[in-house]
Amino acid sequence: MAEKQLKTVITQLQTGSTTSYATASTALSKAKLALLQLNALTPSPSLSPVLYTLARSTYEQGALYSIRAKKADAFTRYVAQLEPFYTSGAPKGVKPSAEQSKITGLYLLLLLTQGRYGEFHSQLESLTARGHDVEDDKFLGYPIRLERWLMEGSYDQVWRAMKRGEAPCDEYGVFSEILRAQIRSEIASSSERAYPSLPLSSTKSLLFLDSEGDVISYARSRGWLVRDSTIFFPDVDSSASTAEAGDGEAVMAGDKEMSQMVIKNTLGYARELETIV
Amino acid sequence: MPGKAPNGKKPIGNRIKGNKEAEMKDTSKKGKATKKAAKDGDDEMTVVVPSTKGGSKTTKPPASSAAADADADGDVDMDASDKTDADEEPAIDPVAQTISDIKSNFALLDRAVALFDARFSLRALRSISSIRKRLTPDILAQVVAETFPAMGPSSEVAKQLLEACGRQDAPLGRQSSEMEVDSEAAKPTSKSAAKKDKEPKDIIPEVDVFLGILTQVYLFDKELFMEGATFSEVLSDRIHSLNRRTLDSLSAKVYFYYSLFCENLKPLPPSPQSPIVAIRPTLLAALRTAVLRKDVDTQASVIVLLLRNYLLTSHISQADLLVSHTQFPENAANNQVARFLYYLGRIRAIQLRYSEAHEHLTAATRKAPSSNCALGFAQTATKLLLVVELLMGDIPDRATFRQSTMEQTLRPYFLLVQAVRVGNLEDFETAIVDHEDTFKRDGTYTLILRLRQNVIKTGIRMMSLSYSRISLRDICIRLHLNSEESAEYIVAKAIRDGVIEATLDRERGFMKSKEVGDIYATREPGEAFHDRIRACLALHDESVKAMRFPMNQHRLELKNAQEAREREREMAKEIQDGDLDEDDLGGDFDGI
Repeated sequence: MAEKQLKTVITQLQTGSTTSYATASTALSKAKLALLQLNALTPSPSLSPVLYTLARSTYEQGALYSIRAKKADAFTRYVAQLEPFYTSGAPKGVKPSAEQSKITGLYLLLLLTQGRYGEFHSQLESLTARGHDVEDDKFLGYPIRLERWLMEGSYDQVWRAMKRGEAPCDEYGVFSEILRAQIRSEIASSSERAYPSLPLSSTKSLLFLDSEGDVISYARSRGWLVRDSTIFFPDVDSSASTAEAGDGEAVMAGDKEMSQMVIKNTLGYARELETIV
Repeated sequence: MPGKAPNGKKPIGNRIKGNKEAEMKDTSKKGKATKKAAKDGDDEMTVVVPSTKGGSKTTKPPASSAAADADADGDVDMDASDKTDADEEPAIDPVAQTISDIKSNFALLDRAVALFDARFSLRALRSISSIRKRLTPDILAQVVAETFPAMGPSSEVAKQLLEACGRQDAPLGRQSSEMEVDSEAAKPTSKSAAKKDKEPKDIIPEVDVFLGILTQVYLFDKELFMEGATFSEVLSDRIHSLNRRTLDSLSAKVYFYYSLFCENLKPLPPSPQSPIVAIRPTLLAALRTAVLRKDVDTQASVIVLLLRNYLLTSHISQADLLVSHTQFPENAANNQVARFLYYLGRIRAIQLRYSEAHEHLTAATRKAPSSNCALGFAQTATKLLLVVELLMGDIPDRATFRQSTMEQTLRPYFLLVQAVRVGNLEDFETAIVDHEDTFKRDGTYTLILRLRQNVIKTGIRMMSLSYSRISLRDICIRLHLNSEESAEYIVAKAIRDGVIEATLDRERGFMKSKEVGDIYATREPGEAFHDRIRACLALHDESVKAMRFPMNQHRLELKNAQEAREREREMAKEIQDGDLDEDDLGGDFDGI
């Protein structure tokens, strides 16, 4: 009974991709209730192949719907529920899910945009260990490449990849906006340290902004100084000026701190030696 | 600490069995090709064992992997004992010799129980490696047959415990049936019959479990993994039901072999269906019990086994959670600590927490036994350590690659380090492609892929040091980057990350390096000095803590002191009472 109901709900979800998140989520909670009644919320060896697939696709649909609706938390939850389905072995006669790499790829991208690199790499490690050819996978290769470029600092590559629509499917587009903002702030923070000043025109291309007006507003938002169509980065200036002004004091303080440290350490050694000898 | 060191040595060897075998064989092929050939034909008894690993490894052709393990198993005293065996064997019947060797361990176990000193059980465990090569089903059967009925004169303690557990029957029956598989049926049956007759005669569970471990070792060497796993299951169940502190070090071994059997069962580890997933509950239960019983040996070894288990299937987050929810026993055997640190370092490296990983791995390599028998562990840990050092932006010491034992296996890593040091992306990529298989087997491949950015960073740093001004175009060409734009972003990021001290000029498109300050004007040298001193002090503290003192010795001293005091008091009293005459006193003074 419950099984049939579940089937119809899932086919509805799978076919009607235009369904709104609200209706989808009510359908999903119904499906999850049915799973609970069937005792199939988590994969167990006793689960029949049919139920196993049903449970898996319920979560998969849930994950896809929540990512389309940009609900990162819900998505993470669904991924967590899918984890045992993907990592532990499936019962005999069940094929690996077609959506698996898509969802894993999305999850990787999510971790990337949230800056959770540690988890990103843990996930990656377990994928490689399970014998996936991650780099050549359509869905998985994309976030991996992005991560490498981001780490290296080749932001233009990331940008181009996003522009060209290299993303393997629509759902990946959700992250473009976040990634764009992330890259921009990365570039901005490196520029602050790297350049003494920048002309407005080249900043535009540097930050991938559309017009000089955008550059000015962005510069304001970061608190940069715009003068004679050139951007001056206040951080460097201010720190330099404070350094000049409080030079003597700073050096004094530093010296004092350092000598205190040396004294403390030496006393420590003396004490230790005393206990040894 | 003779008692501690040997216990863990074996698993280390086993763990890195894969790499080591291959590598060790490489070396042995080159160095000792002739010896090896000769040995392959020989039967094990006639071999006069050369003390090198490469040679002794091949003494047992039918189970070469097992033999490799046996070797890794080797303790410091193993080679020595092997030699004596080889010398003596012509005179004494090898079977009888082995049997008496095994039996001599029972005495040790008895003493361990009687004196409640784990050192004796450890000594018994250590002898396994020398017995191992000579084990045959006949010998095992005979020992069991002779031991169980005949060993009457056990101590009172053993008797009490036997009555308390009263389980001899079941596991014994199983053992004998296990034996029947390979040996002629007559012996075991007669033995079990005999055993039943003399049931009241007691055998301490330690002896029983010790024989169980021997059986496990035997099954493993014969690659009967399936039988081994079933047998181990029963054995571990039994251990679980016994609550004896003298059994601790033995049970740690039992779990170790149990898990090893499962690892070798098909489907092999990375597959989620592998039996190692199925033994997790058992191991976790064992861990819980061990913690409750303050059974440090089992606790340490089971934690290590679980970590290994998780890492084999790449359940990094689970492994991480396990580490954060358990406390690794402080006074665990040194080798278990080394292994634990290695796994911890591995987890941290994957999580990009390189400085922690570096700390753990350095400790692991230092704690690894320095003798040849755990060479595989040292190699594996060093490999990982090298990669982590590179990831941290450091260049590993050249001397690491020069050690004769390491040179060959570290060769691919050496090439890698060279590429990183120079900052040459091209060399780096070729090194990766050339040695992809090696890296994958070592489990360092994904980590090495992360190195690309470091190569670039080093490249930039080299350029920044050598040129006061360099155009982005040149940077782009030297680093083989795709475009000048990329170069600009990368350099900017490097500046922000503090890799180089420089500024960029966008209009004219060059990078201008800043003057490098004098490092001796900073606090860096002081800090480095402090770090080293601290390490030395910690070493001193640890060695003080690791000292062993005979139990109850202080009481003896106390007693002596008290007696002396009493004598003094008496004397004082006598003087006061005036009972003491001049002669007595005079005599005393003479004595002084």
